[in-house]
Amino acid sequence: MERLTARKQAEAQLQQANAKLKAWAQALNSFAIVEETDPQGRITYANDPFCRISKYSREEVIGRDHRDILISRIHPLEFWKKMWSTIRNGKIWRGEIQNHAKDGTAYWVDTVIVPLLGRDEKPETYLAIGFVITERKLAEEEWKRAEKEIQDLNTALEERVLERTAQLKAANDELEAFSYSVSHDLRAPLRHVSGFVELLEREAEASLSEKSLRYLSTISKSAQRMGELIDDLLTFARIGKSDLQKTNVSLAALVQEVLGDFQTATKERNIVWDIQLLPTVHADPALMRQVLVNLMSNAVKFTSARAGAKIEVGSSSSPTGDTVIFIRDNGAGFDPRYAAKLFGVFQRLHSRDEFEGTGIGLANIQRIILRHGGRVWAEGIVDGGATFSFSIPKQRTEA
Amino acid sequence: MNTANIEDTQGKNILLVEDDQRDAELTLAALEEQNLADQVFVVQDGSQALDYLYHRGKFTGRAGGNPILMMLDLKMPKVDGLEVLKVIKADEHLKHIPVVMLTSSRETPDLHECYKHGVNAYVVKPMDFTEFKKAVSQLGIFWAAINHPPLPEAKWEL
Repeated sequence: MERLTARKQAEAQLQQANAKLKAWAQALNSFAIVEETDPQGRITYANDPFCRISKYSREEVIGRDHRDILISRIHPLEFWKKMWSTIRNGKIWRGEIQNHAKDGTAYWVDTVIVPLLGRDEKPETYLAIGFVITERKLAEEEWKRAEKEIQDLNTALEERVLERTAQLKAANDELEAFSYSVSHDLRAPLRHVSGFVELLEREAEASLSEKSLRYLSTISKSAQRMGELIDDLLTFARIGKSDLQKTNVSLAALVQEVLGDFQTATKERNIVWDIQLLPTVHADPALMRQVLVNLMSNAVKFTSARAGAKIEVGSSSSPTGDTVIFIRDNGAGFDPRYAAKLFGVFQRLHSRDEFEGTGIGLANIQRIILRHGGRVWAEGIVDGGATFSFSIPKQRTEA
Repeated sequence: MNTANIEDTQGKNILLVEDDQRDAELTLAALEEQNLADQVFVVQDGSQALDYLYHRGKFTGRAGGNPILMMLDLKMPKVDGLEVLKVIKADEHLKHIPVVMLTSSRETPDLHECYKHGVNAYVVKPMDFTEFKKAVSQLGIFWAAINHPPLPEAKWEL
């Protein structure tokens, strides 16, 4: 009686287990490829998803060797050897296999092969369950292709950069030789003009008319001016050449120092200097000084017609965290249409009779700031003052 | 090559080595204001300068010993100023002569080279004549009047 109950219980459990298994199989069949082969790889079972994806009917595949009809040749021999040795030894294998459907289209299957062992502990049946991952594989391949393309482009780019660097270096060397000869050969005749004009003046002053003396003075001044131009051009050429000697530069101290330099020249002027709190930047101190001297002397120069000249030096932070310094004046200003022209070599927006200058100062500034990785820009309106700003990148924390 | 009139060098103890006649004239004009022009002997290039110093070539048997000052142009044909400087500073008998390099060049490589080889002063000729005059006459006064040479001024035998 008890034994009967036990058997019934066992039967019920078995039924339950079967039902559960059936449900699992149903679930699996609804979206996974399920295939069974005998130990030789001949197909003994194929579910609907298998047929749908491989485009073979069940009749066409049963009894056929899986390898003959489906496997594509893209996997190396090693891949198959490993798979077979795994499942032959009764272990589960998992891998991504590319198959070919009946019409030749390739599809990828993420596959698990479970060997079902017989009584002799040898695989009797191989159960393969797989999910189609063709889209993912294609995306991966596309990604790899793009990566390779980028790599190729980078290689080509690096080669071009090297080539260009060599060209630039050659051009730079030429410029160096050029500035050397400019420095030497252009200065000498100017010195002679200036020298002999003065000697002539001394020799003949008494016998020369006022007009003649004025001519001589004009010659002399022109020679002097050309000398200044040559010197400024040389400075300009040199800025690109020398290495930056970067250190922490207190702009507050530097501005005070530059202000000191202006004391004598601006004694007669009534200039209100509004110097705000200024930060410390990581830059070449000599070049920073040149930038400030130039911008501040520009402000002094272009406010010369103002009774109440006001010059402001301040700083702010750019959205990217760079330090921005500005020098604002209420002087002659400029036509904003020409703002971009300001920073070119020999560009002047005012006649020389109005304001002195060689037209190289702002070009120098731009060169200095660009070499520091910063930017320089100007805002202004005619007779409404000008604001010159430059940015200096925050020091990168280098490992 | 013609032999120089040996008497020409009499009483000249500043040697100006300058290939550019205009520069030489301007330098003399500047020194004239300090009444130093009479002491200046001018040669036009480095090889003449060396002939002068070594009493050879057309300067065989010239009067006087080592100059009390040499003003040397840097860029010259044949033998340039730097080469002359090297010879002078490497020679036991000449190395005490004060050598002032006068040059148009502001380029730093020149400057380094000259100091490396023991130049006593390096002066960039100012483009403005007034400045030029000031520089040259200050040099003349300093070396010809203020400075005491380390050796007897005239060395008759070499």
